[in-house]
Amino acid sequence: MIIVRNLSRYFHTTATTMAVEKTALASLRKKTGYTFANCKKALEIHNNDLTKAEGWLREQAQALGWSKATKLEGRQTTQGLIGVTFDNNNGVIVEVNCETDFVARNKEFQEMVQEATEVCMHYARNNPKSTKNIMKIGLDGNQLKSLKTEDGTTLADKLALMIGNVGENATLKRAVCLKVNNGIYLEGYAHPSGNTKGNVHLGRLGGLVALKSLDNSHSEENLQEIGKGLCQHIVGMAPKQIGKITDEPSENKEEELSLIHQEYLLDDSLKIKDVLEENKVEVIDFQRFECGEIHNTVGDQPLELVETCQ
Amino acid sequence: MASLVVARFLAPAANRTLRHIINKRSIARIHNYARTLQISLPDQTQRRLYSEKKVFERNKPHCNVGTIGHVDHGKTTLTAALTKVLADQKLAKLRGYADIDNAPEEKARGITINVAHIEYQTEKRHYGHTDCPGHADYIKNMITGAAQMDGAIMVVAATDGVMPQTREHLLLAKQIGVKHLVVFINKVDAADKEMVELVEMEIRELLNEMGFDGDNVPIITGSALCALEGKDPEIGKDAILKLLDAIDNYIPTPERELDKPFLLPIEHVYSIPGRGTVVTGFNKVIKSTVTGVEMFHQILDEAQAGDQLGALVRSVKREEIKRGMVMAKPGTVKSYDNIETQVYVLNKEEGGRSKPFTSYIQLQMFCRTWDTAVQVIVVDKEMVMPGEDSKLILKMVKPMVLEQGQRFTLRDGMQTLGTGVVTKVLPPLNDEERELVTAGKKAREKKLAKMNQ
Repeated sequence: MIIVRNLSRYFHTTATTMAVEKTALASLRKKTGYTFANCKKALEIHNNDLTKAEGWLREQAQALGWSKATKLEGRQTTQGLIGVTFDNNNGVIVEVNCETDFVARNKEFQEMVQEATEVCMHYARNNPKSTKNIMKIGLDGNQLKSLKTEDGTTLADKLALMIGNVGENATLKRAVCLKVNNGIYLEGYAHPSGNTKGNVHLGRLGGLVALKSLDNSHSEENLQEIGKGLCQHIVGMAPKQIGKITDEPSENKEEELSLIHQEYLLDDSLKIKDVLEENKVEVIDFQRFECGEIHNTVGDQPLELVETCQ
Repeated sequence: MASLVVARFLAPAANRTLRHIINKRSIARIHNYARTLQISLPDQTQRRLYSEKKVFERNKPHCNVGTIGHVDHGKTTLTAALTKVLADQKLAKLRGYADIDNAPEEKARGITINVAHIEYQTEKRHYGHTDCPGHADYIKNMITGAAQMDGAIMVVAATDGVMPQTREHLLLAKQIGVKHLVVFINKVDAADKEMVELVEMEIRELLNEMGFDGDNVPIITGSALCALEGKDPEIGKDAILKLLDAIDNYIPTPERELDKPFLLPIEHVYSIPGRGTVVTGFNKVIKSTVTGVEMFHQILDEAQAGDQLGALVRSVKREEIKRGMVMAKPGTVKSYDNIETQVYVLNKEEGGRSKPFTSYIQLQMFCRTWDTAVQVIVVDKEMVMPGEDSKLILKMVKPMVLEQGQRFTLRDGMQTLGTGVVTKVLPPLNDEERELVTAGKKAREKKLAKMNQ
C-alpha cells in the first residue's frame, strides 16, 4: 500500500512540482530525522535544494535544540538514567534526568548518558593524582554542562541537541568522580543490570565502591567478584555510611544504615562485616545514586513558555 | 413433589452449620433482605439499594482504551476533546484539561498508580479511557487490572512526526497486550497536507516494523484543539467523530467471561447426609455430575459468572475435595507448575518489603482460593528492587489450576511482596527440575554445577 503510494508519487505527471517537493521533504526527514516542521522550513528557505537544506538543518540543529531546550526549561525531570564507569584508578557515576521513562528507554537518551559519563571519565583521568589514597570530586549540573566533549563542544550543547530531537526536557544532574592510588580497587554496578554501552553501565540506580585488600593476597578476578557483590549490595540496600565495628547496630535490621552492619544481600545469613573479614578486604569509600532521589527545584514556568497545543 | 419439598426447604436447613445456627439472627436478616428485594424488584434487576451511587446501566458493551504518545503531542487535549464532542451529544461528562492532565495517584490493590480514568460512551459502546504519564504506570495498570486496555489511541503531532521514543510507546503497547491501535494525527491545523501524508506514511512504516498491522490501522487526522474550541468542524469535531467511529469499529469488544466455560474455585466443602457433598467457591481429576446449584441457600435455575455459588455434586466423597481445587467443565482447565509472569513489587510505603530480592527466593503464591510455595527466578536482571515491575518465572512445588491472564499475589511470611499476572505458561517441570525447586542453596548449586558439566 505504502509502496504503491510512494511509487505513484514518482510517476505523477500532472503536479510534478508537488511531487518533487513531497519527495524532497520525505527524503530530508528520513535522512536527518528532524521534525517535519523544521525540514519544511529548511526546504522553503533553500528553494527545495536538498543538499543546501540539509546543510542548513545540521547547522541549525544546535540553535534549534537550544531554543527547544530554553522552551522546555523548568519542566520537571524525575526520570532518567545513572551512568557508571571505572578503570583501575578512576571511577565516575553520573545522573542525567528526563521527563518520562519512555525517553529513558530510548537509544538517543542512553547514548547521551553514555557520552556524559565518558566525558566525566576523561575529566577524572586528567585530574592530577592526589597524594591521598582516594580523592572524591563532586560535580553539579552547571559544572557538568561546561565539560568539553571530544569534538570540542560542551555537554550542554549535546544535551540541547538531544532535547531538540526527543522534544522532552532533560537535565545533567550531578556526577561524582573517584580517583584512587594503586592498591585500591574500584568496582561499579548499575541496576537493572544488563544495559551496558561501551564501558558504561546504565541503570535507574548505580553505585561505585573502593576496596582495599588487607593482605595483598587477592587476584584481580577475586577482587572483582567480591567488589561486584558488595556494589550490588550497596545499590540494593542503600546504606548511608560505612560505619564502624564499634558502632551499635540498629535495633531494626530493616532500618540499618551502616554498611558493615547490614545483612548481605546475596546471603542473608552473613553480615557485611563478616563478608569483609572472610575475604580480607576493607571498604574505603562508596557512592550510590538513585535516579530522581533529589527533586528538582522547579521554578514557576513563565506562562508564555507553557506549551499546550499549537 | 416430595423431592421438591426436600430440595426447597430441607436442604438449605441441613446446610446450616453450627456457626450459622449461632448466628441465627443475622441469617434471618439476610433472608428477609433477599426476600424483600425479590418482591420489590423481580427477576434480574436486583439493585444494591444500600448505596446512594448512580447505578451503572449495562446496556452497551464495555471497552477499555487508552492514549499513548509524546508529552507534547496533545494526548490530554485529545482526551478533553473526546469528552467535549460526546458531551454535546449527552454521551459524556465534559472533562477539563486539568482533570485529565494531573493524573491523580490512585491506590489499586495497595499500589500507587498515576492514572487518569475518564468515562464516555458512543452510540455503540461504553468506554473507559486511561491516560498515564509513564511506562511504569501503564505496566502497574496492566498488572493490577485496574483498567486493562483493550485498545490504544496513539497520538502523533503532524508538525513533529514520529519521535524517537514513539518506538518505546509501541513496545509498551505490545508488552501490555494491546493488539489493536488507532492513530490520531494531531495539530493538522499547523501543518500542510503533504506533511500530514508523510507523517501517515511514516507511522504505517513504523507500525509494520514493530509488528502491528500498519497497512490497515485506521489513521485519523485532525486537531484536538479545534474540536475543544469548537472551531473548524472539519478538522475539529468531525475528526473526533471519525476517530470515535474508527475506535468503535476497529477495536473489537473484548470477550467477556460469560461466554467461556465455567470454572468454580472451591472454597468450602460441606456434606449433607443423603444429598451428597456440597462444594462452594485439582491435582486429581475427579469427574462428577452437578445435581443442583444454589446461592445464599436458595436454589438457582442457572448460575452466572460472578455468583457466589454452592453446587451439589454427585458421587464425590467429602475427603476427596479440598479448598483450592476448582470445579470446571471437563477438559477446559489444566494445572501448571511453571509459569512466566509480570509482577509489580510493592515498595515500603505500599506495605511491601524494603529489601530487594534475587533469584531462588522462596515465596508463597496466592491465587483464587489456593496458595502454594514457589521458587522465583528473576529474568533480565540480577535483582528486583521494591517499587519495580519485573518479569519473573515462578516454579511451583505442586501444579495448580491456572490460566494466562490470571492475577495473583506473592507473599513472604506475613508480608505482601507483590502482585502479578500470568503472562505465559511454560512447559511442566520434569522430576529433576522439581527437585531443584525445593532444594537448599548448597544442594542446588551442586546440582546446577553437575548439570552444566
